[in-house]
Amino acid sequence: MNDWIRLLMWLVPALPLAAAVTVAALGPRVLRGASHWPVLIALATSCLASLLLLGHVRQQPVGFERVESYWTWAAVGAAGAAPQDAEPGVPDALHPRGDLVVDIALRLDTLTSVMLTMVTFISFLVAVYSVGYMRGDRGYWRFFAYIALFVFSMTMLVSVSNFVLLFVFWEAVGVCSYLLIGFWYQKPAAAAAGKKAFLVNRVGDFGFMLGVFLIWTTYGSMNYHDVPRPAATAVVFDAAASAGQTDAAAVQPGVLGAERIRAQAYVGGGTGFAICMLLLLGACGKSAQFPLHVWLPDAMEGPTPVSALIHAATMVTAGVYMVARCTPLFGASPEAQMVVAAVGTFTALLAGLIALTQFDLKRVLAYSTVSQLGFMFLGLGTGTLAGITGGMFHLVTHAFFKALLFLSAGSVMHAMGNVIDMRQFSGLRKLMPYTFATFLIGSLALAGIAPLSGFWSKDAILAAVHGKAHVLEEALDARHELLASGEAKAFRTVAWMADAPAVHAAPDVLAAWSEVQLERGARLYGLLYYTAVFVAFLTSVYTFRMLYLTFYGPLRVPAAAGDHAHESPRVMVVPLVILAVGAALAGLWMDRSYLNGTHPFAQLLEATPSLTGAVAGTEALGAFHFGPAATSTAVALAGIALASGLYLAAGGSARREAVGGSIWYRLSYGKFYLDEVYDMLVVRPLAGLAWLWARADDAVVDGLVDTVGRLPLVLGRVLRSLQTGLVQFYALAMVVGGLLLLLLSDPELTGRMWTWLGGVWSSGVRP
Amino acid sequence: MFVDLSTVSLVWPEFMLILIATWMYLGGTFSRGRAMWTGLALVTYVVVATVLWRNERQLTVEAAEGLVRVNGPLIVDYLGQASRYACLGIGVLLTLLAARAGGPQLATEVLGTIMMLVAGLMLVSRANELVFLFVSLELISIPTYVLLYLGRSDRANSEATVKYFFLSIFASSLLVYGMSFLYGVGQGTTLIVGTASEPGIQQAVAQLPAHQQSLFLIGLVSVLCGLGFKLAAVPFHFYAPDVYQGTTHINAGLLAVAPKAASILALIRLVVAVVPPDWAAGWRLLAVVAMASMTWGNVCALWQTDLRRLMAFSSIAHGGYMLIGLAVALASPATGGIAATLLYLTVYVLAALGVFAALAYLSDDACDVRRVSELAGLARGRPWVAGVLAVCLFSLAGLPPLAGFWGKLTLFTGAIQVAWESESGTWGWFLALGLVGVVNAAIGAAYYLRVISAMYFTPPAASWAGRGGPGTALAMSVCGVLVLVGGLLPGFVLRTAELADPLRQQARTAVFTPVTTLTEEPAAHPAPVVVPAASADRPHLVPEVGS
Repeated sequence: MNDWIRLLMWLVPALPLAAAVTVAALGPRVLRGASHWPVLIALATSCLASLLLLGHVRQQPVGFERVESYWTWAAVGAAGAAPQDAEPGVPDALHPRGDLVVDIALRLDTLTSVMLTMVTFISFLVAVYSVGYMRGDRGYWRFFAYIALFVFSMTMLVSVSNFVLLFVFWEAVGVCSYLLIGFWYQKPAAAAAGKKAFLVNRVGDFGFMLGVFLIWTTYGSMNYHDVPRPAATAVVFDAAASAGQTDAAAVQPGVLGAERIRAQAYVGGGTGFAICMLLLLGACGKSAQFPLHVWLPDAMEGPTPVSALIHAATMVTAGVYMVARCTPLFGASPEAQMVVAAVGTFTALLAGLIALTQFDLKRVLAYSTVSQLGFMFLGLGTGTLAGITGGMFHLVTHAFFKALLFLSAGSVMHAMGNVIDMRQFSGLRKLMPYTFATFLIGSLALAGIAPLSGFWSKDAILAAVHGKAHVLEEALDARHELLASGEAKAFRTVAWMADAPAVHAAPDVLAAWSEVQLERGARLYGLLYYTAVFVAFLTSVYTFRMLYLTFYGPLRVPAAAGDHAHESPRVMVVPLVILAVGAALAGLWMDRSYLNGTHPFAQLLEATPSLTGAVAGTEALGAFHFGPAATSTAVALAGIALASGLYLAAGGSARREAVGGSIWYRLSYGKFYLDEVYDMLVVRPLAGLAWLWARADDAVVDGLVDTVGRLPLVLGRVLRSLQTGLVQFYALAMVVGGLLLLLLSDPELTGRMWTWLGGVWSSGVRP
Repeated sequence: MFVDLSTVSLVWPEFMLILIATWMYLGGTFSRGRAMWTGLALVTYVVVATVLWRNERQLTVEAAEGLVRVNGPLIVDYLGQASRYACLGIGVLLTLLAARAGGPQLATEVLGTIMMLVAGLMLVSRANELVFLFVSLELISIPTYVLLYLGRSDRANSEATVKYFFLSIFASSLLVYGMSFLYGVGQGTTLIVGTASEPGIQQAVAQLPAHQQSLFLIGLVSVLCGLGFKLAAVPFHFYAPDVYQGTTHINAGLLAVAPKAASILALIRLVVAVVPPDWAAGWRLLAVVAMASMTWGNVCALWQTDLRRLMAFSSIAHGGYMLIGLAVALASPATGGIAATLLYLTVYVLAALGVFAALAYLSDDACDVRRVSELAGLARGRPWVAGVLAVCLFSLAGLPPLAGFWGKLTLFTGAIQVAWESESGTWGWFLALGLVGVVNAAIGAAYYLRVISAMYFTPPAASWAGRGGPGTALAMSVCGVLVLVGGLLPGFVLRTAELADPLRQQARTAVFTPVTTLTEEPAAHPAPVVVPAASADRPHLVPEVGS
């Protein structure tokens, strides 16, 4: 059984890789139009394997993790970090002076398992859909090779158990994304979008990399998991003092390992905050959060299945996954969690506002994705079990309904001859009944209408934020009472991070917060809750605006569609239907709070080692919160009503909008001019500098190099002239050369020779 | 002199080669069947290699373990043993190359002369005596004159032959002149060990009185002149471009390979063995010649449009690279400079022969591919030839993953290592040596790439035919494949070269067995000289005498 699990664990990523290699090798010549078969088979098998793994994981006890090491990729001896004496209260042994050993190790726990299942399932459906969508494209095989490569990278990203490898595959998915955005590289817009995505992600990756470095210097390990310590090198592990455990000497604690979580040996204060912020910067890049969100809408230049798979369902959730995985690190820094929540909410609001006025169907969906990812970050930022599992819950349901919406949009685009501007078509309801139905289901789910999946997950996040604000207020009240009764010392420090204690005992997270922190936290989360409710309202407005503009009103098709505007082929419709079923029912299935107050999905996720210990004792998902549910349903319905009034009643016309030019409208339509601001602040100065540098390079460096390069030529020209072709000269040169060598090798001999020559000269001249 | 039967048995393979060559000269007057004679020559090399293997397997194995024997004018160590197999390999390649050389009438002359030359090379690799060494070297020079003469019958060829003849004789006279000085200061002709009454030159020079050191130096410089000519080192290189250009591809290949190998082997036997450890003039001489040769050869090659002339300057530069290793060996014996030089030599021989074989394959007497521009578009017309040429040229340029890369790498790292480890006065020289080598590798790449770009990136100018016949095609392919394999799996060549380094080997094991083990009358010979152990930092070639 165990061997089976080990096998399945590596099969999940290995099969897509094998498919990628096969298609890359055989695609252009042999497979051609059949290039999808290896990929489909590999993805289906991977998906099956993931499901088996999920079934296995569900039977395991809470806190189950399994790490299978396959081989050692890199090993740097004695690279261990020095203990950080400056951090009080952190046991030395949790800063092990270890060797830097990077094993190709895969891990299995509930978080990984859920991600694997989601990724492989959606990938498989998208690949099936692509068979129809990409048919006849010149790069057919290339597309499937990239897709398989992406699935390999993404499954590895969620399965590795080491920050170094996490970074490697973080980059690998970035490369795949770049390749697929610029898939139609002949289009200048696509090439530019690919470049933009890559460059913007570099900024995030740079932060991520620094974060990984800081983790290494702080914790002296790159592994998530604990590694058994060889007996000979076992050191005294005095974390026992704080953890109350004595059997810890046998392991070298990983960053997210059970030992460290049990001892709660996480560095807070400035260092902990810095680690979290750097990681968050990385997450912002990959998951398109403000201020690095600008690449995602442009990424829609890629083929639509790519938008659905990579830029909506899977890759962009890597940031969410990473922050969830690193929950213990974020748990040590409440400020960092507040920043996560604030960034997420702000991004959600910003993207929601922009989505209101866009006319490009895919761009509306892209901004909607940015907005929903913001929601997920908001959930993670609460730092409670409910918030984190809620965020992950939203990740999964979002993958369903957003992939569904994108693929439906792709179906529309396919029928409209690659026209995606909503001003150019309308009333497609009759023309494309299946697409309309699936799009409608996706829209309802996105807008958060019960009982579709989006409702449950969005509600979970809202409830978690609401709960967090509530808990903080209560804690603040309790603190005030204690202070008033004199039982507690005042902890009213205004100094922000410096005085935060380094070690948090899990159940007493809030006890370590100062009054200032509690007060700010309560206010912040309260504000975030209302903002999030407003964003939910925006969501339903733009979603139904999109729906009405596309599918209602008089039937109009653009000229580019010709007379073959029709429903898409079955190979595209079937995945849509499957996704639609998922988008409709996944929430009901995963969240049973309406039945018996349980939440199977959350319970499954809570078993993840990083979550079970790190945020235990906080509120968990399960109970059905009527207040937030009612509020969000109300605002969603209000949004639909507003959209209906504006667009349905007006006959589905968008042209009226374009002329209504209030400042707010223009701000939204111009995406708050962030691209222009970046262009002015970053791109142009850099381009100017580069121009200057290029001139300097041409003039100075190239000139220098050219001169150096010309030197041998000049020398050769001179020496060549000695090649006279005369044997006499050659013989003379040999003798003279030999004499020169003789003189050169012995200065003393040279001196004597001169003396002798002088003697000969004088004796010869005198007579 | 103490030549006896055991000595003769040790040179039996060389005798066989000379005997069969003579027989071929005679037989040639009765039968001109070219294929038959070529086949016979090839079989001869294989048979001789087999005889060598059967007769001296035990010796070779012991030599690999570090055992050094001296027998009369011969030294039996791993360098000599391994070199002889390599020489036979060169013989096979040259025979394949020359399978159609010399016109329809002169097959046996060409093939037999090549066989003589190979025998000479094999003898040089084991020479431990001045006269023996000189005669062996002449056994290479004289066949070379004949081969040059046989190459083609036009004015250019005659001019080249005459030039080479006169200058080579001049160089030989310089060599003999220098050897006479060595004989004078060394009071004998044996290079190392010798007998009690007549110790080897190595031992004599080690105890040389100060006033005689100038004599030794004059001798050394003269010897260097003579051997430098064969190596085509600056300033004894002037003949090379003219001669290469005037003769055929096959002869140019032979000139680029055989005299160079002989020269390097003789330098190892003569100079490296004899020059005392703490004597800076030795490595300084070699370093100067090395730097001058590399630079001169490469910068002049930049201007060449004639392929053979280009390769001539290139071979001058490569001779310079090889001297780096010898200079390193003189300055710091444990660094493995000789091993690096041997590795480089092997790799160079293969790559240079590959280039000339490919050119010979494209040419015949009527149509001579001379100019770089004539190779335009070769990759389109003859992809395999172009591929072999490209591999060999890239290897000569020292690009990984080809064998030439490892050669340059070990040479340069040796120089830098000496620079790193030695005190002031020395390190500057070796740093300069390493840097000049690296810069030259960059300059050199330029003209090799010019040839490659002509083959790959210019449109074809002519159609190509395999005029050189299957022999050249086979030789070319073998060289190309070996260069590639040697680059991908350099372990074997590297290890062999390391074992063959006489200094490194001595640093590891120091066993000396006197002649007596091979003779029937042990009493006939006086006991060998007991050589005092050399200073600790430079193990002498034969540091201690075992029982």
